[in-house]
Amino acid sequence: MKVRFCVARGLLLAVLALLALPMNSAAVELRVQSDTLLRIFERDTTSGTDKLVSPGYEYLQVDMGSLSEAGLSFHAYGWGRYDFADNDFYQAADAGELLYGYLEYKRENANLNVRLGRQYIFEGVANESVDGLRLSSDLSENISASIYAGQPVGLDSTSGRSGDSIYGGRVALHKMSLGEVGLSYKNIQNDSDTAEEMAGVDIALYLPKGINFFGNSSYNLDSNGFAEHSYELNIPYESLRFRPFFQMFNYADYFSTGANSVNPFRVLGTGDEEINIYGIDLSWLQSEAWTFVGKFKYYDYDQADGNQYYGLAATWHPGEATDLGGEVGYLNGDLSKNTYLLTRLFATVDQLGDKLWLDFLTGDIVYASYDQDIYGEDYSLFVSLGTGKTFLDGRLRVKLSGDYSQDPYFDDDLRGLLSLTYNYDHGL
Amino acid sequence: MKKIFSPLAVLIICLAVLAACSTMNNSFQLPNNHPSPDDLGEQPKVCTNCHDARGDIPFERFVHGPTWGENHRQAAYQGERVCALCHQTSFCNDCHATRVELKPSLRHQTDNVRRMPHRGDYLSRHRIDGRVDPTSCFRCHGNPKAAATCVTCHG
Repeated sequence: MKVRFCVARGLLLAVLALLALPMNSAAVELRVQSDTLLRIFERDTTSGTDKLVSPGYEYLQVDMGSLSEAGLSFHAYGWGRYDFADNDFYQAADAGELLYGYLEYKRENANLNVRLGRQYIFEGVANESVDGLRLSSDLSENISASIYAGQPVGLDSTSGRSGDSIYGGRVALHKMSLGEVGLSYKNIQNDSDTAEEMAGVDIALYLPKGINFFGNSSYNLDSNGFAEHSYELNIPYESLRFRPFFQMFNYADYFSTGANSVNPFRVLGTGDEEINIYGIDLSWLQSEAWTFVGKFKYYDYDQADGNQYYGLAATWHPGEATDLGGEVGYLNGDLSKNTYLLTRLFATVDQLGDKLWLDFLTGDIVYASYDQDIYGEDYSLFVSLGTGKTFLDGRLRVKLSGDYSQDPYFDDDLRGLLSLTYNYDHGL
Repeated sequence: MKKIFSPLAVLIICLAVLAACSTMNNSFQLPNNHPSPDDLGEQPKVCTNCHDARGDIPFERFVHGPTWGENHRQAAYQGERVCALCHQTSFCNDCHATRVELKPSLRHQTDNVRRMPHRGDYLSRHRIDGRVDPTSCFRCHGNPKAAATCVTCHG
């Protein structure tokens, strides 16, 4: 029996099951958010140099049904773009994508959750967009489970959708004061060939003295090898937080995911490289206003020489209205071409309505210095300034920003962005 | 080789078990949404100011510290319901989506406090970051549709 037919029949059964569920009598609630963006910049295109490009984007989100209580609801979110200049910068002047659109049923009993339609699955080894069905529920006080099946959206542009399927699930044992252990599985078929088959375990342990241990491992059942181990400790000590961590990725098992693999990763999956990353984050919440962060990462490879990353950051947040921050990062590569210094300063001053017509001002400077030239340049400079104002009792927010870049790819590049965000809700 | 279980049979069995078990009512219930700042009278800052660090939900795990943007992956995988109290999936989709044309830092150019990835001239830096740790790219660009932005140059 073809998997595609199985999935289609499963979806049909799911629709019937969903329709049979008891409906909540609460009034229908509606929430709409519209983000309209207009960009403007210049690029060299097939029709000439320094041609104006002016794409307009619409991001639309609709949520309706029982939103503030358990019950039945519908959720959709997507974007579309049209290039008003239409001068061959894009392959086509228009583009777009439905990112999700699903019916959801929530019941308070056992945290039952049923979703049908295009949705994102974030759990265990799954980080996928799926056209299909997901069901999750508690099985007992300490055990919960979820399963999903459908077609993977990420493969719908690869030889059509014939023979494409995805299914999987996760079972978790949890005792909230002690921790959680989850086992997960994912199988993706592309044109009836295995594109990816992974199993994973994820662990959270809450230890004495506020120390936490988190981690996950994933095993590639297609190539029979561990693709990833990622584990970390979170250790609090007064106003300090230490986060030592370890990660391992085996390229052949991590990137070699059958038909799901694409360049430039497909090439990496054919090698024998393995990367081990050791590191520590240190956060110091010095006061309500000041926060400091230190980072260190050591990249160790089976074949290549190691790289190290050092980072420092500080933020100052004296109240709701102001944020100032800066950071410095240095990647000390094994080769000159893998070495750079990154610095950044940013500022946001909000709640200016009493003093100015505008509500807020923002600024951002990012400077990167490269040890080895990239296209003859050894630095990048990015500067961004922004402002905005709200109207209609906060329902409409207008933001305007401009940025400038001088870098290996662009000389004196100026870009502008106008953004309008409109929120509407009814019955919430 | 003949398969003992078809995916559909396994799915139906799992659905039946889950449906049966879901009639119970002895597990901890989360509300649909976190109260808004208007309801609370202030903008929530740190989860553990109001919630137990290790109660029915270990809220200390969801405190958005300064490195949360880089380290929230597993907390999100294990605690999606907690995330959903404040964030809709569209929020996650700013970074995690099968296909978005605008990088998050560009779409939210004025939200510089959020320290979103790829800020500034990332086109130049991605050559280096990709060589040093390509696994960090793969999580968001690792399927044919999500890699559409890579294909232009990488084929």
